[in-house]
Amino acid sequence: MTHRTVMAIAVLLLVSSVQAQWLGYPDKRVPRNADGTPNLGAPPPRTGDGRIDLSGVWEASDLQEGAPGGIESTYSPKYMINVMRDFKNGAPFQPWAAELFKQRQANKLRDNPSIQCLPLGVPRLVAYSHPYKIVQSPDLVVVLYESQTLFRQIFLDGRSHPKDAEPTWLGYSTGKWDGDTLVVETTGFNDKTWLDGLGHPHSDAMKVTERFRRRTVGQMDIEVVIDDPKAYTAPIRYTQPQELLPDSDLIEYVCNENAKPVGPGN
Amino acid sequence: MRQVLLLVALSSIPASAHHNFRSEFDINAPFTVAGTVTRVEWTNPHAWFYVDVKDAKGEVANWAMEMGSPNALMRAGWKRTSMNAGDAVSVEGYRSWDRKNTGNARSVILTKTGQRLFAASSAGK
Repeated sequence: MTHRTVMAIAVLLLVSSVQAQWLGYPDKRVPRNADGTPNLGAPPPRTGDGRIDLSGVWEASDLQEGAPGGIESTYSPKYMINVMRDFKNGAPFQPWAAELFKQRQANKLRDNPSIQCLPLGVPRLVAYSHPYKIVQSPDLVVVLYESQTLFRQIFLDGRSHPKDAEPTWLGYSTGKWDGDTLVVETTGFNDKTWLDGLGHPHSDAMKVTERFRRRTVGQMDIEVVIDDPKAYTAPIRYTQPQELLPDSDLIEYVCNENAKPVGPGN
Repeated sequence: MRQVLLLVALSSIPASAHHNFRSEFDINAPFTVAGTVTRVEWTNPHAWFYVDVKDAKGEVANWAMEMGSPNALMRAGWKRTSMNAGDAVSVEGYRSWDRKNTGNARSVILTKTGQRLFAASSAGK
């Protein structure tokens, strides 16, 4: 039994006692087994126009335990801590990016923007353990992130990326369907976010391509390609699985109501 | 009154901390302490609680314990009323690198009458 399955069962058992916001409210769109449990292995739903329907509350899955003594002692989604984990010879840094990465390690990662409750940004939100909700319409897909209570708009109405865009934390996203896959391209980033928990940097020239593939009711893959020649000599490519949180919902998350990055007193 | 252990395995909650564990806490410095809760801060990005802990000499120190976010705790079955000032607790966790009597709580055993909220340990451990 996977860790997430254990959690899901525990939460299900607690439905009667958990009345926080709308956790545990049955989602009519989720198909059911005979015993009433969500049929997460059923084929993915489709919208009226025949597209795969990505709507739902999702969270990055494929949790893996960090190395003993490593950056995280707890389970985290596969690419949350290190998006370069598949590079056998290390990240394909440009020299300045290697130097900045080294500085961040020396500083014990204390300049992580999320410590200041700043947005994780794209693509880090793909592999982070906070739920998000996709709301889909033919011309616009909206992603509501519980993390920092952020929103993201992905325009499918044929518009181009803005020229000389004002740099933003989450960039400017457009999407189009390639068969059953939603392909999203995002540009116009600032250079303030980290790619992962280890602090791999990026530049404002980064372009991120995400391919959303909902395989079943309960499973979706997001393939990420980071093209940032100013910071890396090769594209960075990984696929982060996502899991539907059936009968769940987002909870307001106001990070800076009590942020104590280095413990009480500081 | 029947005493029921309320074991909440915080370690099984996916890391949703807004900071990196390693930058604040030493995985090689585990602790177990028992005492009385003096205050609970049910706030983002981390819930905190404070425990008066008596040492062998009878001297009391107030420990500060960090948990996950209330959102993660609620999904794991906690409520904001699960632990209150005055409750006797035993806490396992990891010490702060540089702050005295400060830790990251891995599990809390609340020794009062109550329902068993969540006791599943992490699979694979």
